[in-house]
Parts: sequence; C-alpha cells; structure tokens
Amino acid sequence: MNTTTKLPPGRRLRWNGTLIAGIVMFAIVALIALVAPMIYSGQAATLTGESNLGSEPGHLLGTDALGRDMLARTLVATRTTVLMALAATAIAAVLGVGFGIAVWLAPPRIRNLGLRLIEFFISYPGLLLAIIVAAILGQGAITAVIAVAVASIAGFARLTANLASGIASRQYITTARLLGVPGYRIAIRHVLPNMAEPMLIITAQAFAGALVEISGLSFVGLGTQAPYYDYGTLLADSLSKIMTNPILLVGPAVAIIFVSMAALFVGDGLAAAANPRSNAKQAQMSARVDEGSSLDVPTDAVLVADGIRVSHIESGREIVSDVSFTIGRGEIVGIVGESGSGKSLTASVVSCLLQDGLEASARRLTLGHTDLLGRVPQAELASRIGLVYQDPGTALNPALTLGSQLTDVLRTRLGFSRREARKALIAAFKDVLMPDPEGRLRQNPHELSGGMNQRAMIASAMSVEPELLIADEPTTALDVTVQREVLTLINRLNSERGTAVLFISHDLGVVRRLCDRVLVMQQGQIVEHITSMDDLTVERAQHPYTKQLLAATPVVNVDSMEDA
Amino acid sequence: MSSTARADNQGSNDTTMPESMSPHSTEDVAGGAATISPHAAGSHAKTWRRFLVRRFKSLAISLVLLVLMTFFIVQLIPGDPAEAIAGPDASPATVDAVRAELGLDDPTLVQLWDYLVGVASGDFGESFRYGVPALDIVMAAAPYTVTIAFASVLIVLVGGVALGISVAIATRGDRRRWLGTAFTTVTSVFTSIPPYILATFLVVIFALWLSWFPPAYTLAYGFWQSAILPIAALSIGSIGGMARIVRREAAVVEEMDYMRSARGWRLPALVRYGKHLLPNVLTTALTLSGIILTALLGSALIVETVFGWPGIGSAVIRAIAEDKDYPVIRAAVFVIGAISLVTTLVIDIILGAIDPRTLGEEQ
Repeated sequence: MNTTTKLPPGRRLRWNGTLIAGIVMFAIVALIALVAPMIYSGQAATLTGESNLGSEPGHLLGTDALGRDMLARTLVATRTTVLMALAATAIAAVLGVGFGIAVWLAPPRIRNLGLRLIEFFISYPGLLLAIIVAAILGQGAITAVIAVAVASIAGFARLTANLASGIASRQYITTARLLGVPGYRIAIRHVLPNMAEPMLIITAQAFAGALVEISGLSFVGLGTQAPYYDYGTLLADSLSKIMTNPILLVGPAVAIIFVSMAALFVGDGLAAAANPRSNAKQAQMSARVDEGSSLDVPTDAVLVADGIRVSHIESGREIVSDVSFTIGRGEIVGIVGESGSGKSLTASVVSCLLQDGLEASARRLTLGHTDLLGRVPQAELASRIGLVYQDPGTALNPALTLGSQLTDVLRTRLGFSRREARKALIAAFKDVLMPDPEGRLRQNPHELSGGMNQRAMIASAMSVEPELLIADEPTTALDVTVQREVLTLINRLNSERGTAVLFISHDLGVVRRLCDRVLVMQQGQIVEHITSMDDLTVERAQHPYTKQLLAATPVVNVDSMEDA
Repeated sequence: MSSTARADNQGSNDTTMPESMSPHSTEDVAGGAATISPHAAGSHAKTWRRFLVRRFKSLAISLVLLVLMTFFIVQLIPGDPAEAIAGPDASPATVDAVRAELGLDDPTLVQLWDYLVGVASGDFGESFRYGVPALDIVMAAAPYTVTIAFASVLIVLVGGVALGISVAIATRGDRRRWLGTAFTTVTSVFTSIPPYILATFLVVIFALWLSWFPPAYTLAYGFWQSAILPIAALSIGSIGGMARIVRREAAVVEEMDYMRSARGWRLPALVRYGKHLLPNVLTTALTLSGIILTALLGSALIVETVFGWPGIGSAVIRAIAEDKDYPVIRAAVFVIGAISLVTTLVIDIILGAIDPRTLGEEQ
C-alpha cells in the first residue's frame, strides 16, 4: 500500500467551475488579509470630520461615527477576522481529529462512551457552546476563538470516527491488524491519508462556519473588543446606525457572505469532483429499416421482436445486437445467459422501459397490432404488459402498504374506482393463493416474507390481465422452496389464462422446468435457440456456450422435485 | 437513528451529511428473510419498547451531562470566580455576597451536591441583577425563542421539501438544465448568508424602506407582526439547504427498484413523485429538520439581539456581556439544551412512526 496515495489509483481530481470559483474566492480573501492592512490601515484609523457619511466618491461604503472610511476598515479587518477563524479551525481540527482517532483506537467500551460524548455535543447548538465558553472566560477575541473552536471539535471528531471505522473495515486494514501492526501506525499510515478528501471539505466549511460564528460573537459584543475590530464589530457598529445610514452594513455583511460562499463552493466543488454527475441522455427507441430479417412470424404471435439493437448513446458501443424472437399466445419463452449478456436489456426494450443513456432500435417490435416503437399511450402499456422483478424486497415501496401501491395502476391507468381496485387486487391475491388477502392489503412489504411479496407482485402484474408477462429473474432472490412455489404459480397462470410469458433467468434448471422455448444469449447476441426442452442437455446442445452453461448447472432431477 | 449531524450555523452543511442519515443505505432490512405475519404485531411492540427505553435512557444521561456542564460554567472561571463575577471595581462586601450566593466557600463536591439538589427542584439560584429566581426569568423568555425557532423549522421543512421535490421533478432525466443551474446558484447564495446578517438586510428593506413590519419587537404591532422578520431571517437560508438535500435525495430515491416498479406500472408523474417518492424522502427531511432546529436555536440567540426580541438569546447575552448574572446564564444554558434534546427525541419518535426501520438497534 502506497501511503502517499490519497485517491484510489486511476482517479484524478476532476476540476470543475464550482471548485475553481471557491478556490479563487479564498485566494482573494487571503490576498486581502495579507495586503490590506499594509495599505489601508492608516486610512481605516484616520478620524475625520466627515462622520456618518453615506455612499459617496472617496467613501464608497460611507464613514462611521468617527468619520473613518468603512471600505478601508472592512478590508483591514479581514486579516484579524481570517486569523481568528483560522486559529479556531486549526484548534478544532487538531483536537477533533485526535479525539476521533483516539476513540477509534480505544477498546470497545471506551469507544462507545466517546461516541456518545460526541453525539451529545453535536446535538447541542454550537453557538450556545460558544456562548458558554464566553461566559466562563469573559468576552474578548481570544475567548471567541477558543469558544468557536470548542464548538467545532465535535464535528471533526465525529467525521473522523465515522471515516476511520469505515476505512478500518476495509480488507487491507484488517490484514494489517492481523499481521500485528499497532493501531496508531495503522491510523497514521493508512487511515489518515484516506480521509484527505472529506477532511478538506469539512475544513473549508468549518473555517467559514468559524468565521461566521466569531463574527456573530463579536456582533453581539462577546468577541473582539475596541480598539481592535473585526467583521463582527464593524457589523455591530453599523447596526447601531441602521436607521440613519444603512449603507454601513454593506462592507462587513458582504465580506462575511463572500467567505461563507467560498467555503460552500469548495465543498460543493470537491463533492462534485468525487461523484461526477452522469448526464445520461434520455432513452430513445426507434424503427430501423435494413435487410437481413430472417424471422419467421407465426400467425398467433403476441410479441414480435425483430432485430433489437441497444447501444450506449455517448460511446456508441453496441450492447445488444440483432436479437429477434416471437412469443405466441400461451407460450413461455425463456432467455438465459450470464449477467451482462443483454437479457435484461432486451426485456427492458420489450417493456418500453429502456433506461436513460441508452438507445434502442428494431426492424419490428409489435405487441398484437400495436407498434411499440411508436408512441403508445401509457394506459395501453399499463394494461397489456405485466412486469415482475428480481428482488421483491426492493421492488416494493417500503413506505406504502401493499394495498395502496398495488392498486395505483388499476386506479390511475385502468379507470377503476378505489373500491373496484381493492376488489380486483383481493381477487388477484386469492388467485396467487395468498392467505388472508384483505389483511395483506394493510401490510407493508417489510412485514411479509420475500415469497409473499413476490406473490403480491405477480398478483399485481396479473390484476391488469396483461397479454404479456415479463418476469426478469423472478426467483433469483428467493430460497429454493419458495422458488418452486413461484414457478408453479407462473406456470398455472400461463396455462389458465393463456398469458404469454417472457421469462428471464440465468438458472437453466428453472428454465428447463418452465419454458416452452429457450433463447441462449451471450455478449448481446442469441447464440442458440432451443425449441424442445429435451435438447437442453450437454450432449444435445449445439453451441459451446450453451454446453458450458449446462455443465455449470447442477443436475436437477425434475421428477423428484415435483414429488418432494 | 438519532439526529446526529450538526449542520453549520446556516444549516447548509449538506456535503458532510453522514451515510447513516439516508435510510436507503440499510435497504436490505426489508429484503429476503422478513418477519412472518403472525409474530409481526408482537415484535413490533417489542421493537418500540426497546427503542423508547434506549432513547429515554440516553436522554436522561444527556440531561445529567447538561446539568454538570452548567455547574462547571462557574467552576471553570479562571482565578477567583467571585472576584471575576463581581468585577474589578467591586467592594469586598459585594465579592463576599457573590461568593455566598454561589456557595463558592464550600468544597467543590458539596457545591455540586447543593447545586444538583437545587436544580432538581428547579432552583438555579436568584438572578444577581433582578433578585428573582433565575429560572423564572429564563422561562418567561423561553416561549419567545421557542416560537420563532419552531415556526422557522416548520417553514423550512414544508418549504424545503416542496421546493426540492418540485425542482427534482422539473429537472428529472436531464430536463431543463438551466433550472438546475439556477436552483443551485440561488440556494448557494441564500445558504451562505448567516441569519444575523439576513436579519439586518430584512430590517433595512422591510422595516426601514417599506415599513411593513416593525424593526424591533414592540407590542404596538402585535406578536406575529413582530415575529415575521425574525422567523424569515432564521428560515430563508435553511430552506435553500433543505431543498438542495431533498432534491439530491429525490434523485437517489428515483434510482431505487421500487421507483422502477412505479414506472413499470406506468403511473402518472404526479402519483410517482407525490405518493411513491415523497414518503421516502420525508425520512431524510425530518432527520435533517432536527439538525436544523438545533442550529437554528443557536442562530436565534444572535438574531434575537438584532430585533430586540425578548427571548433567551437576548437574556443570556445580556447576562454575560453586561450583568455577569451567572444564575441566569446557567438556567438559560440548561433550558436551551433541554429543549434541543427533547425535540431531538420527539423527532426520532415521529421518524419511527413513519418509517419503522429507523427503530433498529444503533451501531
């Protein structure tokens, strides 16, 4: 492990406008803090007869009660203010990071105590903590610095403890621990360098926060005392003249907001650099005219897909190339292949749910007499295509009851009343043999088992009485006995209602049991089309990839499974 | 999940929002082996009981810590606290009086015991300045502070969520890029303005130029008329911060499997966002509003002085800067801390009712 590496290999800081703006603004502040007292301190301290002036040539931001130029005073005050904020941030960072690391290195009992202490201080208003310190030490500039530092320690400590425990669970740290590397060395060599980026963000924000809080304390008279002055005391001076000369507010107010904004920009910019936003273009589906169709379309076909192509809009890379198949009424067609073979993408094209950033085209894509490549009313799609997904635990909304979320499609797209939709869903629940269907309507997904949730999902898909059911790995997330129940269910609904089914799976055992025909996909292409399940054996399969898949599938004795 | 992060004083600390705040990082709880229904009701009550016991225990510990902290405000004063409090010009008799009132002659442990006994019966000592029980002074001021802080948080919650969701809908799938940019810019500016500076701007614009509201608290105008500017000063910046986080969270939720299901059912956008997305963003928004309330209670202390608002902030700052009125300081620190702790607990309970997954064990 290279200890100087702060970013994972291959990742470089991506500059963006926000980050650059923030850094430039900070640089301006630093420059003013450095230079202004040398140039303007005379002007800022000169008492003139021209007191309480508004904005006018020579005194752009007016003059205070003693006739001192407010612009000059604001510029000069930058150094004091920035130095105080820097000191407070540095103290808070050192103590906070130290405490956070100590908490993380401590034995579990003390660690918990330390974490609780951090939480206690964090749930307490920071400014009030600062005021407590001011109450103890009496008002003054140093007090304000210490007060604000104390108020910011907990933030650093919590971030450090959180990051440290996150990094500590990584593989190489565990290995180092097992090898007997002492805790403090792990902390210095591995943990601290990995925290650089979030630390930079919180430091920028803590600095701005410290500047705002110190100015606030000075503003109410608890910070810097005359004859010294900072942004806060200037603001307080101008507040006393607010009725007669409000222009005086502009200098100190703009200065504080400027620094505050610089920190926000740096934080946002660094965060954006770490997670660049994907500008995925909206998905498109179009018809394509070319030769080469070899699809034989039976007269009873429910779905005809001829030459589906899917590609990445940005890179132009083709992910699915020329996939063609049909599904007849009452037929179950399986698509198998390893993950990344394009089977789910094919399904998303057929269901008109292609994700953003991709474009698809086909020579023909029809459901019955409807051209899915054209504009199809949403209500029609909702009522003719039913969808079942892989993981019922995540495919159902955790915040809504089953009754509430599963009746939405009936009510919004099929024109059912609330009561009719409920009745239809209860009937669908009965159809999939859910015990106590009325009670299920009132339950949230997390109150039910995965198998029950998948039944509910299937019931919902079937409640619209679709012509085509698309099931994308519907049994993968379920355990074996539940898998069998779900398969039996799909099989029964298919034979009772004649619903055509597109069944996607990587499990050849499951496919063999359920499907009438199987398409084998590899790298976006159909490599083999098996029309009889008897051919789905290592001996009789034609394509080497199919043989390979079959060889990797444990032998399932279908008869014994049925009996069990 | 307890409300944890301390938003900086503007409530704009969104880049450091801890992972644990997002309910979506613990999504697997709802997956695979969920509870089977017959036991669900029983385990539900048990989860709640365990949650409440745990949270009340930690509230009790925090309150004790708080009382200890207020005790040490006087103890930690460098040098002789009595002399420091009485001031450099005080006569020896005054110093002795202060010492007697605070019981500083006794050994520290005895002082602590006396203090704890006093606090247990609501006695923080008598105000040096006004000669009445310090707690009475603070409790008379508390409603003013609580009103503007809570009203602000409510406005931040409602306004921030509405704004954040609306922008999330309007800019979904890379639509209206200009709106996204405008939103980010405007909210950046507003979250960068500290409440006490915004307060001065509001006074100039709405009290001085437009004369719509009084520049400072006065009974002549009526309570709410006077309260509007302080509430606006406290809430406007945080609305921007809340809206930014809600918008980003909405984009995260939009990627969830259950939102794909909603698209699969071809639900209209209004139902998808208003019904399926909103409740899942609300957990984050509520958690955040607890953090914002804590920050706002702090900011309120300073904003109050701009408007001469007769709340705890004005009281405690006067007590420190002018009167050295330590019994009042102690009582004020305790009351604000207690309000902040109790509110955090109440928000956690509301969160638990909305999203039972947050009731789980900590760590």
